[in-house]
Amino acid sequence: LRVTELHRPVFLATLLLALPFLLSAQIGRPEAPPRGPVVVLDGRELPVPVTISPGGPLFALRPLVESLGGGLSGEDTGESFNLKIEATEVVTGIGNAIITVGEEIVSLSQPPVRGQGGPQVPLDFLRKTYGAVSGYSFDWRPEDSRLIISRRESREIKVTLDVVHLQGMTTVVLQFPETPRYRLNQQPGSVEVQLLADRLAPPVRKRVEDSLVQDVTFSPQQVRIQLVPDAEVESYLLDNPFRLVFDVHRKSAAPVSIGSSAAAFDLRSSTRTIVIDPGHGGTETGAIGPGGIAEKELTLVLARDLEARLSQRLPVRVVLTRTDDSKLPLDNRTAVANQNKADLFISIHLNSSLGSGAHGAETYFLSSQASDTRAENAAASENVGGTAGAGTAGDAGQENQDLQMLLWDLAQSHHLAESQRFAGLVQAELNQALELRDRGVKQAPFRVLMGAAMPAVLVELGFISNPDEEAKLQNPAYRANLVEALVRAIGRYLEPPQADRRSTPPLPPTQGAVRSNPGSPTPP
Amino acid sequence: MSRRAAGWVLAIALLLVLGSLAWWWQRGSGGGRAGRRSAAAGEAGAGPTERHAFDLYFPAGGGGLRAERRELQVSESPKDRIRKVLEALLAGPAAATAAATTAATPTPGASAAAPGADAGLVRPFPPEVKLGSVELSADGTAFVDLRWPDHEDPPESGSTEEIQRVYCLVDSVALNVPQVNRVVLLWNGTQRITFAGHLDTSRPLLPDRTLLAP
Repeated sequence: LRVTELHRPVFLATLLLALPFLLSAQIGRPEAPPRGPVVVLDGRELPVPVTISPGGPLFALRPLVESLGGGLSGEDTGESFNLKIEATEVVTGIGNAIITVGEEIVSLSQPPVRGQGGPQVPLDFLRKTYGAVSGYSFDWRPEDSRLIISRRESREIKVTLDVVHLQGMTTVVLQFPETPRYRLNQQPGSVEVQLLADRLAPPVRKRVEDSLVQDVTFSPQQVRIQLVPDAEVESYLLDNPFRLVFDVHRKSAAPVSIGSSAAAFDLRSSTRTIVIDPGHGGTETGAIGPGGIAEKELTLVLARDLEARLSQRLPVRVVLTRTDDSKLPLDNRTAVANQNKADLFISIHLNSSLGSGAHGAETYFLSSQASDTRAENAAASENVGGTAGAGTAGDAGQENQDLQMLLWDLAQSHHLAESQRFAGLVQAELNQALELRDRGVKQAPFRVLMGAAMPAVLVELGFISNPDEEAKLQNPAYRANLVEALVRAIGRYLEPPQADRRSTPPLPPTQGAVRSNPGSPTPP
Repeated sequence: MSRRAAGWVLAIALLLVLGSLAWWWQRGSGGGRAGRRSAAAGEAGAGPTERHAFDLYFPAGGGGLRAERRELQVSESPKDRIRKVLEALLAGPAAATAAATTAATPTPGASAAAPGADAGLVRPFPPEVKLGSVELSADGTAFVDLRWPDHEDPPESGSTEEIQRVYCLVDSVALNVPQVNRVVLLWNGTQRITFAGHLDTSRPLLPDRTLLAP
């Protein structure tokens, strides 16, 4: 009896120690037959915990990162974690369906959560990160709960070629139905567009007979533009549809310096090109006055009047970005100006404000902050690409786009001083001609001014939210005064710039995104 | 084995069992629950709250922004402060000083001031526009999502009205929450090139003090 009493605790201890094993065996047994979700990469099963939620499957990210590559940080602590795929940073908040992929903000079908294996992410997270950056495809098969991961097969992309020679310059346009991932290699005497993941379906072979472009050849992976020895090329992008545009000219005919307006004036032809942009259009009505007048209607009327008067009064070629009530993306408006090698870009708008009492005209040019920020972003992207390994397939296309953006912004920054000068002339003429409150020359990060490769302004010719000004703007005589003021400002701008330049001092560096010209007596 | 030694063995065995059960619970079905609790704790409202004064920058007559001092119940969390500031801003000027101010533009986006608003200050968006997600990245970029059900686009407007709408949000957040230095605005969950055809909202926006009335 004494022995039994002594051994009873040992017996109990043994039983208790065995209990977890018995429990786990009991729990594990019924789960075994129906296999859980499976993740397969190149035919190999990955140990990735998967949670089936009402919004769809959620996949543990950490084991996927270990298999697909990349770096994960901050996933154990805090509200957000960072995933680095090649040179692209993905910032994700636990419980938040909005993430950033590089500079892009992306919405998810459901927010990432913490779960087994650390952060768990939905399927579209994987597609919008690894899929977009590294070219992986993620095929979820709900019938057997399998996620098949594979490298996306390359697509065949049709490309069309146009070569136009006009006034000593040849423009080569490569048009794609969708945006390809590519890299641009520019060398003396040639330009190559190299596709990174896709294949080209070349156009029907046609002979290029041009004084600046010797030939354009296609292979499945690249387009090569062969130039004559003394030619050089400038390239830019156009959207909708995606186009790569190459302007080829002889080296001697290139503009000397964008920043030297006097020199630029000397080299320009006598006929200047003015692009007028009637603001808004189509479904984008712009502001609507209390009497029901839509901004888009009046801007078109004013632009047409300005076109007619400019053509009568000045030796200029006038191009309108839209001639009817159609919707035109903002980037396409400046693209029209760039394509036409415009000397001036004027976007015509009518204003509205929240609250009562706003009235008068104001003229905007691009804030240097807007230009600088975009340039810095582009430069940063380029630096990242450079240090992470130039030619990384995943972001090379983006890197190239960033480089293009950087070039645009650098070019635009050269035009800021001229834009300011022109804006000052416009505002002065409007103040003098009309009994309007002078709201001054201002700067703002307006999208329509950002891509312009020439001096560019946006002029607000009055507040249609103000009943008095709305009524005036419906009066043809009043509109004629507005147009006359613009014609005079353009005429003064196109004169040799010395006299007017002295009257408009350069702005100090911009502190705010939207700012008034110093000296302007008006509040913002 | 003595009775004392047997007691020790039993105690150790009990501890092992309890530890195993706790580990199993944490790793298994209980882990998900723990994770959800953790995620919820990370949301706005974490920690004790206190009354704190903020300057809310409302659109004002004449085209700029003007501050209205407001006391809000907030926690120490920057996200909580961003959210509370924006919710108060979207609700419109305080009902302390009455004035019948209305938006000048009778578009669908036109928004009357909150009842009894301070003279000249205007609610920036229609009442149906609500605050969605708020996120704050480590580099001080606040992501602010505005939701307007059944409206794909923000209200149509002229440039001054758009500047007032965009920068009342940017300035109210960035000038009140020190952890924020720039703001990315989303509309119905997506970033837009522009809200109303003028300002470039495809990039983070810095606060702009030049719009503030003295």
